[in-house]
Amino acid sequence: MVHVTAGLIPLASNFLVPNGTFFVELIAFGIIVWLLAKFVIPPINRAMTARQDAIKKEFADLEEAKAAAHKAEEEFKAQIADARHEAAKIREEAREQGAQIVGEAREQAQAEAARIVEHGHAQVRAERQQAVASLRAEVGTLAIDLAGRIVGESLDDDERSTRVVDRFLADVESMQAAEATAQDGDR
Amino acid sequence: MTSAVIAPLAIEIHPGEHPEGHFLGMTFNLDTIWVTVVAGAIVVALGFWARAKLTEETPDHVPTKIQLVWETIIDQVTTQVTANLGKVNPFVIPLATALFFFILIANWLEVIPTELNSDTHLLPSPTADTNLTYAMAALVIVGVWTFGVRQKGLKGYLKHFLEPYPYLLPLNILEELVKPITLALRLFGNIFAGGIMLGLIAGLVSLAPSNIPVGPALAIILNVIWKLFDTMFLGGLQAFIFALLTVLYFGMAGGDHGDHDEQDEHVQHDQAEQKSAEPEPAH
Repeated sequence: MVHVTAGLIPLASNFLVPNGTFFVELIAFGIIVWLLAKFVIPPINRAMTARQDAIKKEFADLEEAKAAAHKAEEEFKAQIADARHEAAKIREEAREQGAQIVGEAREQAQAEAARIVEHGHAQVRAERQQAVASLRAEVGTLAIDLAGRIVGESLDDDERSTRVVDRFLADVESMQAAEATAQDGDR
Repeated sequence: MTSAVIAPLAIEIHPGEHPEGHFLGMTFNLDTIWVTVVAGAIVVALGFWARAKLTEETPDHVPTKIQLVWETIIDQVTTQVTANLGKVNPFVIPLATALFFFILIANWLEVIPTELNSDTHLLPSPTADTNLTYAMAALVIVGVWTFGVRQKGLKGYLKHFLEPYPYLLPLNILEELVKPITLALRLFGNIFAGGIMLGLIAGLVSLAPSNIPVGPALAIILNVIWKLFDTMFLGGLQAFIFALLTVLYFGMAGGDHGDHDEQDEHVQHDQAEQKSAEPEPAH
């Protein structure tokens, strides 16, 4: 058994009993806390938050830039597609126009050709008529001259000679017609 | 000369003795105060150095290594604390930080061999003096009570003494008083015992069985081992525990423990009891 009497350990030297040091320590530690709370921790937290905010902002900016780039790309693609469409349209139009021009040219050429042919026909007809007329005039004279020489009589009597020539020509024409009919019949 | 072998080792240690000063009828432990100033100065200097390092502007906001480490720690602590306790009073963070680093430095000062002789110890751990640990515990518990009252109102705060059952009131009051005392004495006991151990180890110097002086070598080896294990490791652990418990006490005071409105009428009665109980741990 250990007997601890009141006088054995004086309170002054009992280290469980606080003394005046307590108040000094309270103040000293209070000052340390105050210094840290006032001058050290808030700036550190502020700097940390500021840096994190800045980084967050940079990320946001990046996202924005990416979105903008996407948008620009889409616009670009749309424009390219538009341009292609436009080009196709223009090509189509050009083809149509070309076809039209070719058609017109062909028509024109055909008309011209027809006109030239017609003109040729008309000329041929006119010349033929002319030839027929001159023949008619000359053949008569020549034939009468020839016949006159052969028969020895003058066929100066115009009325008569004309009648003879006309009859001859009519005979010739009828012969021609008969030949034509015969040729037609042969076919 | 065989008597030398069995002669008791002459060990002179004076636990709890301090060089004293007297002022206004009070006793002041001068060594404790002196080392408190030294440790406090180191902590504050470290704080300002950290501020300079941590607020450093870097190009492109790329954090420096120390900033990265700090932010990782802060992030982890904040996540843990908020996950367990919900929103924490912003006063808690500086207080816990100051407690942790101050106790850490105060404990670690013991590593420096400054005990010139048995009477002169230049840098004894001030945490081996109850005056310092009582002071820190008092600051914490007053802060906890203030925070609790502010969070829940005086009535709401006092109500938690009746929870979960009114008949637990004595235990709840006891718990509230035990908190600061255990906080103070746990730290004091650890560091004080560590100091005594160092004294005992130093006393082994004269150990010389069969006239072989193994004492000095043994004392040096044990001293190194003890300082690494107790002073460095346990000293850090104690600092961490003190700071952690501070955060926990704040969280408990601010947190909800469920509502028991039917016990409202007891509050007025308990208030008087609590008033008389509160000042006790500070003395």
